Amino acid sequence: MDQTSSLAPLVRRWSGYTELSDEDRNAIQRLPFAERIAPRESYLVREGEPTTSCMVLLKGFAYRQKLVTDGARQIISFHIPGEFIDLQNAILDVSDHNVQALTRTQLAVVPKPALLEIMAARPAVRRAIWLETLIDASIFREWVVNVGRRDARTRIAHLLCELVLRLRRSGEAERSVWEFPITQEQIADATGLTPVHTNRTLQSLRRDGLITLANGELSVLDWEKLAETGDFNERYLHHS
Amino acid sequence: MDHPPEHPLQNLLRKLELHHRLGDEDRQAVLNLPYRRRSVEAQSYLVREGDAPDRCAVVISGYAFRHKLTGDGARQILAIHIPGEAVDFQNMFLEEADHNVQMLSRGEVAEIPRQPLEALTLSRSEVGRAILLTTLVEASIFREWTLNIGRRDARSRIAHLLCEFAYRLAAQGMEPVRDYELPMTQEQLADATGLTAVHVNRVLKSLAAEGLIERDRRVIRFPDWQRLRDVGDFNPRYMHTLPATDANAHLG
Repeated sequence: MDQTSSLAPLVRRWSGYTELSDEDRNAIQRLPFAERIAPRESYLVREGEPTTSCMVLLKGFAYRQKLVTDGARQIISFHIPGEFIDLQNAILDVSDHNVQALTRTQLAVVPKPALLEIMAARPAVRRAIWLETLIDASIFREWVVNVGRRDARTRIAHLLCELVLRLRRSGEAERSVWEFPITQEQIADATGLTPVHTNRTLQSLRRDGLITLANGELSVLDWEKLAETGDFNERYLHHS
Repeated sequence: MDHPPEHPLQNLLRKLELHHRLGDEDRQAVLNLPYRRRSVEAQSYLVREGDAPDRCAVVISGYAFRHKLTGDGARQILAIHIPGEAVDFQNMFLEEADHNVQMLSRGEVAEIPRQPLEALTLSRSEVGRAILLTTLVEASIFREWTLNIGRRDARSRIAHLLCEFAYRLAAQGMEPVRDYELPMTQEQLADATGLTAVHVNRVLKSLAAEGLIERDRRVIRFPDWQRLRDVGDFNPRYMHTLPATDANAHLG
């Protein structure tokens, strides 16, 4: 086991949701977990499987997806380091969607009983866990709006704003260039568009001087204009 | 037939027990929650985006819907709520409402203050679990709606929505209902599926021409349920409903 891995990022984010005592923080840090390395594109959770654990992303990116019967894929959310990828499965018995590694990822696999135990013993931690799943739900709602009622350019700008804001809040606020391993095909599957349409739209955002996106790196050149183009109001992130 | 007047939160209890069974004391504790009963007109707002809610609303009669508006005024419907369902349990914990809730039809709601509701989820862990589960199932339904709008064609989207509603209206662990009064206009159906009202009208006509639905004013019937399910690519797994048992048959 890598001596440096810890659940500290989790403590940091949850402290932002609700007040945690020193005992609460220690209890989170002491949650048992097994470390797992998963290659790019491998399945971390499969739809229909009974749930036994929840996973915190320590390194790398992941995404949730669902398939229609004829095989088309809808990406439902992206996850960045420090986030749980399937916290709802602490309570739900069966997984209702898939989660895949977007890059090579390092994960902390926390057994369900340990999460249930900390929720029962520590009301503040229970509140933080509940809040995290409620903020996830708020993001899912916003994605329904995004695919249902925004045009292609707005959808993609909205998605980029969300990801940049979440990356910024995950601790690297000063950056202007982001590691951005998400492919155009994945952006298409997250926004209900075709890869061709996505490519054209990204080019137009570049041409208009809002972003640059190349070699797995994203820079936002004009945040105000990108947010306006994306009809982006961060309220739905609830300060997460 | 005479029925004793039912407690206004009885249907909430039924909905909670779709996902987690409760003992008698827990049930009684839910029924003992303080609430204010209120008549509400069609279209009236229960929650507005940006509000700091101090209560949660449960539908007693009528239907409600959640929605969000884009910057240019387009509306996306996020959920339809039927009697017994809480329309904003998430506002027990979130400080600011991130979307609107409106009545679809005229009806009644019970408004439960946030503080005693949260206290109950702490003092009675099984009730807390049932409410947490309810919010998690809502999140699962939002995920399914993203898939529905993002990756299914217009025909499948509408069929999927009709199937979901048939399941939601079913009593606990029972078969989906095979006919119901659809409370939504074609414009509202369009706003729930990311389509135009004209497109929805065309799809409903073609589903009727194929014998998958029958419409008589607002009542909609499903003569070929299995085929409708196929067309809608509908798998009820995402609703996480417990299977029926004899123990809860009395609830139906």
